[in-house]
Amino acid sequence: MTSTWGWLILLFPLVGTVVISLGYKVLPGRLAGWLGSAAILGAFVCAIGALLSIQDRTPEDRQVVSTLWTYASTAKVDVGMTILVDPLSVLMALVVSGVSFLIHVYSVSYMGGDRGYARYFAYLNFFVFSMLLLVMGGNLVLLIVGWAFVGAASYLLISFWYRRGTATYAGLKAFVINVVGDIGLVVAAFLLWSKTGALDWTGVFRGSHEAFHTNDGVIVAACLLLTVGAFAKSAQVPLHTWLPDAMEGPTPVSALIHAATMVTAGVYLIARTHPLYELAPTAADITAVLATFTFVYAATCAMAITDLKRIIAYSTISQIGYMVVGVALFGYANGLFHLMTHAFFKALLFMGAGSIIAAMAGEQNIDRMGGLRRAMPFTYVTFMVGSLALAGFPPFSGWLSKDSIVAFAFDRGGWYVAIGVAGYVAALLTAFYTFRVVFRVFSGEPVEEARLLERGELAHAAHRNPLTGEEEDTDVGFPGPEHHIAERELPMKFAMSLLAVLAFAGGTIGIPDVSDVLERFLEPTFADSAFQGVAPSDTAEWIGLAVGAATAAAGIGAAWLVYLRRPGLSLELARRFPRTHRFLERRWYFDELYDLTVVRPLQALAAFSRRAIERGIVQGLLVGGAGGLVRGGMTIARTIQNGYLRAYALLLLTGLAGLGLYFLLQSS
Amino acid sequence: MSLSIPLFIPLASGLLAMLLPRGAAWLARQLVLGGTFATLFYVVAMLVDFDSSAKGLQWVTRENWIETLGIHYSLGVDGLNLFLIAVTALLFTVCALWSALREWDRPRLYYFNLGLAETAVLGAFMAQDLALFVVFFDLMLVPFYFLIGVWGRGERVQATTKFVIYTLVGSLLMLAGAIALGVLSTPDGGQISFELADLQRRTLGHGTQVWIFLLFAAAFLVKAPAFPFHGWMPDTYRATPTPVLVLLSGILSKVGAYGFLRIVLPILPGASSTLQELMLVIAVVSILYGSVMAFSQDDARLVVGYSSIAQLGFITLGIFALDPKGAQGAVIQMVNHALVVAGLFFVIAVIAGRSRESESLERLGGLALRAPVLAALFLIVALATLAMPGSPNFVGEILILFGAFDEKIVYGLVASAGVALAAVYAIRLYQRTMHNRVGPDVEPGDLSWRLDMPAIAPVVLVLLALALYPQFVLHRTEATTTTKIAAAAAKSHQTPGPDRTASSAGAPDQSQK
Repeated sequence: MTSTWGWLILLFPLVGTVVISLGYKVLPGRLAGWLGSAAILGAFVCAIGALLSIQDRTPEDRQVVSTLWTYASTAKVDVGMTILVDPLSVLMALVVSGVSFLIHVYSVSYMGGDRGYARYFAYLNFFVFSMLLLVMGGNLVLLIVGWAFVGAASYLLISFWYRRGTATYAGLKAFVINVVGDIGLVVAAFLLWSKTGALDWTGVFRGSHEAFHTNDGVIVAACLLLTVGAFAKSAQVPLHTWLPDAMEGPTPVSALIHAATMVTAGVYLIARTHPLYELAPTAADITAVLATFTFVYAATCAMAITDLKRIIAYSTISQIGYMVVGVALFGYANGLFHLMTHAFFKALLFMGAGSIIAAMAGEQNIDRMGGLRRAMPFTYVTFMVGSLALAGFPPFSGWLSKDSIVAFAFDRGGWYVAIGVAGYVAALLTAFYTFRVVFRVFSGEPVEEARLLERGELAHAAHRNPLTGEEEDTDVGFPGPEHHIAERELPMKFAMSLLAVLAFAGGTIGIPDVSDVLERFLEPTFADSAFQGVAPSDTAEWIGLAVGAATAAAGIGAAWLVYLRRPGLSLELARRFPRTHRFLERRWYFDELYDLTVVRPLQALAAFSRRAIERGIVQGLLVGGAGGLVRGGMTIARTIQNGYLRAYALLLLTGLAGLGLYFLLQSS
Repeated sequence: MSLSIPLFIPLASGLLAMLLPRGAAWLARQLVLGGTFATLFYVVAMLVDFDSSAKGLQWVTRENWIETLGIHYSLGVDGLNLFLIAVTALLFTVCALWSALREWDRPRLYYFNLGLAETAVLGAFMAQDLALFVVFFDLMLVPFYFLIGVWGRGERVQATTKFVIYTLVGSLLMLAGAIALGVLSTPDGGQISFELADLQRRTLGHGTQVWIFLLFAAAFLVKAPAFPFHGWMPDTYRATPTPVLVLLSGILSKVGAYGFLRIVLPILPGASSTLQELMLVIAVVSILYGSVMAFSQDDARLVVGYSSIAQLGFITLGIFALDPKGAQGAVIQMVNHALVVAGLFFVIAVIAGRSRESESLERLGGLALRAPVLAALFLIVALATLAMPGSPNFVGEILILFGAFDEKIVYGLVASAGVALAAVYAIRLYQRTMHNRVGPDVEPGDLSWRLDMPAIAPVVLVLLALALYPQFVLHRTEATTTTKIAAAAAKSHQTPGPDRTASSAGAPDQSQK
């Protein structure tokens, strides 16, 4: 029964995709949106079914494998169409389908005026199917398939408004960086297969324990390659540059794919392959250090940039950094706890951002916003809930989940303490940049758009692409003819209210000393871990939580000081330290670095191949040589008054006869 | 079942079409179209009837042809050529369909050439006698010469000249190699034979193997084409009419790769293992060079053309990894590549039809809004082209890479870079035609269900079916493919050293069956 629920989870969104794609022309009004939402609700219900049925089993029996058919089995490579239903995959399926459902509902209204309405929901359903395949896949190959499918869905939705040059370029960039990650996974799969002879999870894990000793070179390499895959998907430094650009997609997509679900796949991957990482602690440490760097780095960037969605995107990179640290330090439940709460509050923040951007007629620069509080009370309240959760303010969910990771780092002791300290530093920055947005957008003097809104109107503008200044294409462009804000749309309100409740109270499943629901639920998956049961004492956790709360309060206070109390201070700071400001605003020049080291050399190589190799050698030398042969042949042909073809036929025949004669003479 | 029936139906229908009076051009079209369909049905029946557990050939036809020279009319099917024959029959059918929905000058001659071409290609795939293979291999040149030269466009004379010279030089070298192989392998006092099974049993000195190998390799690499033997490709691809281009790039390019597996590896195992590194270098350079060229081309056809060089590079990599996984990957990849190339060239033709026949990426773009069906089909094919996981091409590619990693990990790792580059050129091609602003030449419109869909839909459907169940192919090819590379793989796993290989090659070969 458990496996049936598992397959049904996958079936619903797949059917949704097919039905919406085929019916794109005939589905009237908002039906495509409701159909898509219903499909995802179906998946969510089945995920609950899977949850209940798996809880009925004994803890040892909570890893259910089911194969429908042989996918590819040849030359000792054996891959089935297999799913694995265990607490980890069920948790992921619940989070993914639940958040996806709410975002679908939100989109029903938000995308209402878009000309690509059905296309949007077909893509979105396909994304959910892929993501569920990724988390349910019972072997490495199906994981890679889901992994690539979510990448493709992400690509399609980033370049959803495909007449924008910036959107298509961002799509290409995201796709290619993700393929780099895919290659990492493929090579890792090979390394694991070559030593264990298996590609399914159970086989690989069992085989690894026999094949590798701790920190064996091959397993370290394999884990580092898995990390490459995880980092590409989860936008961790140095493979993070695609995610801010991915904000070119519609805002609900940013909420779903580029905040709540897909980008956390890297965290899932490390949690799923935890037996391997525990055999390769070196690789786990390298992963943790890079992720630590990432969460500090991204937080600093988020302080300087002014694009509302990109700020939240950097915040996502930063928060995923925390999760990766959580799982890479072998505190799996902590990382997954934060993954879950982050899905709630970050999806909520993006939904709020969507509403704000709609009210601003497509404007995304926070410097041009202000005083929206009175015009958008609902958006303000929910955005505030999301911000408090992100800042880690008690008692919101982010406070509990983020701190469980930091406390675990302190508990590991040794140099891991440095990671814990960095965790608090970044938390301070997080609270600061989060409330920079809140104060900038909602407080202060109301801007023109806010006044319009207060009078019951909605701003409209002939929009230009802020990055290129290009006028938007109205056929497939953003913003569409109508905008939708949460205040006026019931589905948007519904989705945001529910997420606000979850962002506030989602932490209750992991209160130290009170409830360890999540940890106990996940136990069967991580039973084989050497770190199972290792946790800081409740006292230590509560001390950590207190420090976390103080940090958040300090960050919020600093933002209040800079942006509300003394409004000129931020400008003055930027003027006083122009280099630092520029450095942060350019995001530490990572994009420029890659342009210089990867993109340009490749273009130069292509130009060189085209001009020198192709023209000089292949066409010049080789064809020129052959061309000379042609001319010679033609002269002969002309002298005996033949057409070309006859000359060639003759040539062929003469050659054939001559060679035949030669060898016959030789052999006799 | 007799293999001669599907083999000669196309030629027979083509000949009948030629003999029709001038006014009955429509009948010529129907005849050849019917012929390709008949062959396709026959081949589908073969797929159903195929015994996948058998190691040897099935439905063998064997007649003496030229007894004194040991040449036989010998045909047979096993796992190695089964799916190549199937995809040949499929692509010829859709190309005949595509052609039948359009008008051609001198239709009777055109359809005759199409029929002749199918027979020649099927013959090359079915032949189990080296001389017969050579005959069909060279026969392929004739219809393609006419199809490009008469119905081509632009600089077709220059294009055909290059194409013919290149392939002819290759063919002649192979001819010499084939004759040498037959003659030199004849034991003292024995009867000369060109039958592949006989040749495989007989042995050749190592030095002889090497130069014969090089002769065959030249012919096959030109046909593929591989870097740096692709000088004919750009001009020819630009000039060739769409259905012919589908066949040229989809099917003809596979004959070379198939030749390696059918002829070279089993008969010249010593040379195959000695020259393994050379072939791997050619493969890897082809992958990188083809990919880099593909993402910097402006002509949509040439993007696909250079991408084919890269894809054929992957196939060569799989074959010369001399590993069962790699070879299996190569075989399924040949089928996949034939399908995606067909899809891509048809799609490009449809796009050109909506943009004043322009195939320049600079002048295209933004078609997706008015052409959602085309955009969707193109997307599927483009993602398969870049071997996205979930596509059948990924199954081929991962097996090839696994094979390469297992035997020669450095080549495998370098080739992996080609995977990322494939994403660049495939997505770029898709974006530059479907997305971005509407290009100056574009007159938006979707593909025609009557004219375009009949040819494109089967290709995409087969791709989707293979994506769900690639095991259908792998299961049937495994038994044969692994035996074809066994001898060469065994050689390459012996302790290296040219002297030792040379001396052991003289002795009766233990590793061959």
